Amino acid sequence: MSAVAFDQVTKKFGDTVAVDEFSLQIADGEFMVLLGPSGCGKSTALRMIAGLEEISSGILTIGERVVNHIPPRERDIAMVFQSYALYPHMSVENNIESPLVANKRAKVDATERTRRVHEAAETLGLTEYLARKPGELSGGQRQRVALARAIVRRPEVFLMDEPLSNLDAKLRTQTRLELVDLHRRLGTTFVYVTHDQVEAMTMADRIAVISDGRIQQVGAPQDVYEKPANLFVASFIGSPPMNTILGTLQGATENAAASVLTAEGTLAIGHPGSAQPGTELVLGIRPEHLHATDPVDAPGAVRATIQNIELLGHERHVICTVGATQMTVRQPNDAPPLAIGQAVSLHADPAEVHLFDPVSTERLN
Amino acid sequence: MNTSPLNPTEQAQGESAQVTTVSAPAKAQTRRFGNKVRDAGLAYLFLLPALIIFGVFAYYPLYRLFWYATHTQSRFRNKPASYVGLEQLKASLTSNDFISGLTHSGLYMLYTVPLGLLLGVMLAVSTHRRLKGIKVFQTIFSSTVASSVAVASVVFITLVNPEIGYFKNVPWLSLRNPTSALFAVSLSSVWQNLGLTFIVVLAALQTVPDELIEAATLDGYGAIRRFWRITVPLISPALLFLGIVLVVSALQAFAQIEILTGGGPSGATETLLFKIADPRGIRPLGVRASYSLGLFVLTAIVAGAQYSIMSKRVHYGD
Amino acid sequence: MATDPTVSAANEQNRLNQTAEKIVDPLVPAPYDNDKAVQSPRSGLRNAVATTTTYLVLTALSVIVLFPIYMLLLRALSSPLKYISAGQPLYPVSIEWDVFNRAFGQASLGRSMGLSFVVTFVIVIAQVLTSVLAAYAFAFLEFPLKKLAFVLVIGTLLLPIEVTLIANVEIIRKLHLLNSVPGLTFPFLVTAIGIFLIRQGFLGIPRDLRDASELDGYGHLRFLFKVAMPMSKAIIGSFIVIAFLGAWNQYVWPRFATDRGAWQTVQVALRTIGSENPGELNLGFAAAIVASLPLLALLIFFQRQIVRGLTAGAVKG
Repeated sequence: MSAVAFDQVTKKFGDTVAVDEFSLQIADGEFMVLLGPSGCGKSTALRMIAGLEEISSGILTIGERVVNHIPPRERDIAMVFQSYALYPHMSVENNIESPLVANKRAKVDATERTRRVHEAAETLGLTEYLARKPGELSGGQRQRVALARAIVRRPEVFLMDEPLSNLDAKLRTQTRLELVDLHRRLGTTFVYVTHDQVEAMTMADRIAVISDGRIQQVGAPQDVYEKPANLFVASFIGSPPMNTILGTLQGATENAAASVLTAEGTLAIGHPGSAQPGTELVLGIRPEHLHATDPVDAPGAVRATIQNIELLGHERHVICTVGATQMTVRQPNDAPPLAIGQAVSLHADPAEVHLFDPVSTERLN
Repeated sequence: MNTSPLNPTEQAQGESAQVTTVSAPAKAQTRRFGNKVRDAGLAYLFLLPALIIFGVFAYYPLYRLFWYATHTQSRFRNKPASYVGLEQLKASLTSNDFISGLTHSGLYMLYTVPLGLLLGVMLAVSTHRRLKGIKVFQTIFSSTVASSVAVASVVFITLVNPEIGYFKNVPWLSLRNPTSALFAVSLSSVWQNLGLTFIVVLAALQTVPDELIEAATLDGYGAIRRFWRITVPLISPALLFLGIVLVVSALQAFAQIEILTGGGPSGATETLLFKIADPRGIRPLGVRASYSLGLFVLTAIVAGAQYSIMSKRVHYGD
Repeated sequence: MATDPTVSAANEQNRLNQTAEKIVDPLVPAPYDNDKAVQSPRSGLRNAVATTTTYLVLTALSVIVLFPIYMLLLRALSSPLKYISAGQPLYPVSIEWDVFNRAFGQASLGRSMGLSFVVTFVIVIAQVLTSVLAAYAFAFLEFPLKKLAFVLVIGTLLLPIEVTLIANVEIIRKLHLLNSVPGLTFPFLVTAIGIFLIRQGFLGIPRDLRDASELDGYGHLRFLFKVAMPMSKAIIGSFIVIAFLGAWNQYVWPRFATDRGAWQTVQVALRTIGSENPGELNLGFAAAIVASLPLLALLIFFQRQIVRGLTAGAVKG
């Protein structure tokens, strides 16, 4: 088991900066998820830990060791690829034992090797498939062979590059649970790359949200969700995404709390933090913290028209137009009925309103 | 936590498809670590046999051809050759002998390529259908792949030899007549290449999706229009490829000439390579080297076309 | 996955168009299936006529292809002088089955067949070896002057043996290798086609798999033998078959790299066997049959590889 630390690590492909001055401490035994849209640099960061990409500048350490110039096979890491990367011409057994056979440094004798392979196969329920070729297995089974190949070498760090994205939705949910369970049992450091926020939220000890090659925010899933550091994180995490609207801050007075004046009315908010009255800002409200009520022109609310209502069974999403912006309200199914085209007032839970600087996009409150 | 469990599958899959393309940097196939000097050493070690052979038996001979073409060899081997510059090369490549060789090779191409392609397509098209026993016909049609140029020439002795050939009295197949001899010889090439042409065209036909033909049928195309407007364009890469292969083999025709006519009658079947190889040894080395350089230029033109087509084919994943 | 509404709409549109065509055209006779096995409804009689016609055409074409082979068999088995005096009919005259024995005995067909096998095996084994190694270097290794090396390999496509023939004969003569196995094989121990084909196979190995093997700790040699070659089995197999085809069928080089009958490969020997004595003409025809047998076996047992090999690269036979 080992910690992994990025210290101002940068990766350039020619003139393109894929990873820009990453600094990130991944604790020993932690389940760290690197989350971001495609092309954001998260996979490159993972491949640098693996040693599959050279580091342009900065320092990368695994445990106590600076690994910048250490070849992959000597890094004591294991990786699960999105495509699983199984050797199609080898049996499941040979695939699993491959890292123990190929790596001269592994120094594992034949009996120990067989024992470990069978142990890994048992852990992942693959014992009866050991003699088969990967082509004869289902997608989920192949994915487990890839996992078995990773755990058999007992690495310091597990790296996973979108390992669930080739599975169907149902299998993905199930495998998510199994991965969390595996992490708990092994207690090893996991670094997991995904673009899927649900995977990140459900599995991670901490999430590093990445965009344009930079780390936007690092924190526990709940913290990242509740206190997004900037507009990117705010809109990337949460489904449906956070509502945003432009406005001007108005200070608190004796009989009114602080509020934000928008084009379609004024929204009451909680403590404005460092923001000064009169500043332009972007208001962010999660759909579950926005409420639609019948009476139009209610105080502390904005005027809206209902454009569409999506029924999801356990809840519904009411999509409204507020001037030129669109805002979504999440409601329980048993809330009072609303009609498309109806005019409503939208007001927010004042304590749950997020304020962002429109220029720097940083969080203000 | 109150996040939605919804995670639309299609979004995730679209995304994953992008991930592989976007995050894959160019030149990813090489290893990034390990000893770079050692890797380069290994590469040279692996390439060494190939480069030595190519050097000694492809590039050095090319240099030697230039050398021979710019020197005249004395009749007596012990006397040194004398340098004559481009004189000999120029004279050789404008000589009637060379022009006639070029003409014969050109005619050979003209006789073999279109006819070979046409017959190959006919054979392939006629067996590209579901019929009882079609496998037997397919095997028959591909059988000439097993014959070499030399075997095909011996086979054609039984057909066109002026004394014992079955068709010795057919005037347009006569090896005795200078105007028909080359054509008669060329038929042996056409026959010998049938197997190859058939196999390649049939393989190409099998890649044409049935639905396309069915759709065309439903659209009201007749069989002939369907063939020309749909099948032919779709198999045209294979036809182009075959065309080049046949052109090259016509350019290199030798065994069939030597075995069937020995270049006669009165030199009427002396192709370019026949004059270069010169089995009777009547031309000086410098002249034959000059001819070889002429053949080199022709080969370069054809091989250039071949390479550009090959790399395109490779691009489609073949 | 959700269906794209525009796509399904377009499909619907297509279907409608096709239905419309069908309705408009019922009087036009169904197209005659000349090029494709599209089963369209037609009467049993018409069907039978079409099938019979097809078989007739196929049989006619078979006769064209097989007639030369039949003539070869006929001439090989018939006693030459008796056949000629019978007026060269289309049937055998006084069959001589021992013609093959005599070809091996009198015309030393055995020796030239043996030499052909030796030369072919040397060439095929060497070509596979050199092509695999060179292809590995081009596919998986980074080294200075890689581009130049690749251009040099491509360049040899412009330098077939036919072009460099006379210079190569002089080189072999100077090396005192005329009439020897090295002389017959040296210029063919490497081939650009083989390097291309196998390199293409290597490049088809997914990037993730190469990365995984790197993490697993494979060295270059182990990766080559345990992963790259097994995964390129099909391509290497096809290449072996077409390399055999090419090497066995060689004529021009063995013809001029030897000046003694004892060193003639079977293809070259075909030129002279039985040609001296009109009474022994059939020996030459029998030899041609024997010379084709190895390839016939190849065609029967490795049909798939032959098709793939011929389709993938330019190979002349």
